[in-house]
Amino acid sequence: MLDYMRETLELMQENLTRTILTLIGLVVGVAAIISIQVAAAGMAAAVNGAFRGINVNTFFLFPKSTQGSTQRANLGLSDLTLLERNVPGVETAIPFGQTRTIVNAGHQHVMLKFGGESYRRFSTAPVVAGHAITRTDVENASPVCVLSSKAYARLFPHALDPSTVLGQSVYVGPKRYVVAGVLGPATLSTASLGFDINNDVVIPYTTFYNDYQRGRPLFGIQVLGSRDAKLATLEANAKRVLSEAHGGSIYQTFDFGFFSKQIDGFFGVVGTIVSAVGAISLLVAGIGIMNILFVSVSERTREIGIRRAIGASRATILIQFFVEAFVLAFSGSLVGMLAGLGIGELAQQLFIARISGTIAALPWAQAILLATLFATVVTLVFGTLPALRAASVDPIEALRYE
Amino acid sequence: MNDIAIDLQEIVKTYKSGSIEVHALRGVTLRIERGEYVAIMGPSGSGKSTLMNVIGCLDRPTSGNYHLDGIDLSALDDRALAKIRLEKLGFIFQGFNLLPRTDAMKNVSLPLFYAKVSPKERRERARAALAEVGLADRGHHKPSELSGGQQQRVAIARALINNPAVLLADEPTGNLDSTTSEEILALFESLHRAGRTIVVVTHDEEVAERANRVVRLRDGLILSDTPTARGHFSEGSIVPREAIPQS
Repeated sequence: MLDYMRETLELMQENLTRTILTLIGLVVGVAAIISIQVAAAGMAAAVNGAFRGINVNTFFLFPKSTQGSTQRANLGLSDLTLLERNVPGVETAIPFGQTRTIVNAGHQHVMLKFGGESYRRFSTAPVVAGHAITRTDVENASPVCVLSSKAYARLFPHALDPSTVLGQSVYVGPKRYVVAGVLGPATLSTASLGFDINNDVVIPYTTFYNDYQRGRPLFGIQVLGSRDAKLATLEANAKRVLSEAHGGSIYQTFDFGFFSKQIDGFFGVVGTIVSAVGAISLLVAGIGIMNILFVSVSERTREIGIRRAIGASRATILIQFFVEAFVLAFSGSLVGMLAGLGIGELAQQLFIARISGTIAALPWAQAILLATLFATVVTLVFGTLPALRAASVDPIEALRYE
Repeated sequence: MNDIAIDLQEIVKTYKSGSIEVHALRGVTLRIERGEYVAIMGPSGSGKSTLMNVIGCLDRPTSGNYHLDGIDLSALDDRALAKIRLEKLGFIFQGFNLLPRTDAMKNVSLPLFYAKVSPKERRERARAALAEVGLADRGHHKPSELSGGQQQRVAIARALINNPAVLLADEPTGNLDSTTSEEILALFESLHRAGRTIVVVTHDEEVAERANRVVRLRDGLILSDTPTARGHFSEGSIVPREAIPQS
């Protein structure tokens, strides 16, 4: 068996170009399938990690728009207190509202995400200078703001230290807010995932309401549950309490489980597409390998004849060509596997790690299993015909063959 | 042990070539004893190649019985026939038929590979066999790096390595010049003296003369079966098989 393998490897070296061209399909197919698996695994880890930037016991509550009508059930400030008082486990409820706007500080004019925050914080980013929004700030609707590390860096590019910007003013339109605190980087954030609710600049939600939302019904409510509260129960109770208070209006809630499912769904689709492409290239690759084996059989008809005359049975020849098919398929799969792991790792380093700061461990065992499986399937499916043809070579004819 | 190496009884071989039946062998009865050196001659179309294939277990007769070294071959399947070729027969071809990309050592040890002999023993026996044909220093040369005569000697070493009951040579000098042919024929003679059973198929009278017995075929039948001049002289010198050193 080892002899057959050595012989095949020698043959592959002699026809190096042909071998490489034949195996490209297999390499691409296996690499595609394995890399998407690595990326998906990394993404799953990132999604799980992403919500650590914000308190995970958060959900959003919106009036459900009834079909055929833009009429929505109203939400008002009173509903915030209603939720805080009547739903056990609700720590705080604030109006949902965030906006992208130009924030000015000195000569810097920066487009940033701007929104309300409570003294019970939704963000988990550490405070590195000053303090977060206080209860007094909320109660008095003070014109103060807290900057994220990103907002700090962009608004005050020349500041030596976060503490030096405390007490300085930033402007949103004509409104002035005094910097009360600066946050450090959230280890993990939902940035780049497209639904970041960690704002760059936050002011007390009461201030935000007074300055931007007064006189209009609330668009939605952002709720923070206590650490040990179950989100599902919390959401159900919140919807029920509001519905009772608003004459049967229907509300809907979203939490990170929902977003997480959305992302999983997206990767499911991407994964299916890539797997389909991979499967097609595996098919093409298999046909390529079958072709090179057929060529090998006809090129080596005489050799097969010699081997048969010397004492090789049909079964022995069959095995020899199967080994050859397997060595070909396996080396292609192996290269594909390494390439796939490499591409996956690169994708993690370049994209996923930037978003989440996490890198999932490479699924070596799974990849090796998969590569071996592909090699075996390709060998059996595409190696059988050439091997049978080789075994059926008539030694008398073959020896006459020049 | 059997004193009769090859025992052919009424061998008939009929091919179907399209709708025409070709009677390649029409009833050949031939007995070759152990230690004989026999030449099979005949013009093309006489059936000598077919006879060679039947003796070599590459082809099955349409009818008739064939015993090789006492074994009835008619009942054997492909695997068993392959084993017979492996253990009882050594082939030497006109075109040498060495594996082109493989060095002399590996070519010689190929039958041992199929006989599932360990790599170490394969190397040792291949080295010994190459030494026996005078190519001890050419073990790592590929066929393309060897002369025709050397290639044929590698082929002979390969044929000998399993210590076969019969050496079967098909026009062994057909591709060689006269000097090299002479070397190969001398090698055959020394093998014969060592007690090997040799069957040479040839159309070359000079080659046939070197054997002890010539069987002439025509139209699928044995035309004549006569001892050569050499045969008369050397008949008594046949060494019993038991005396052959087992490699």
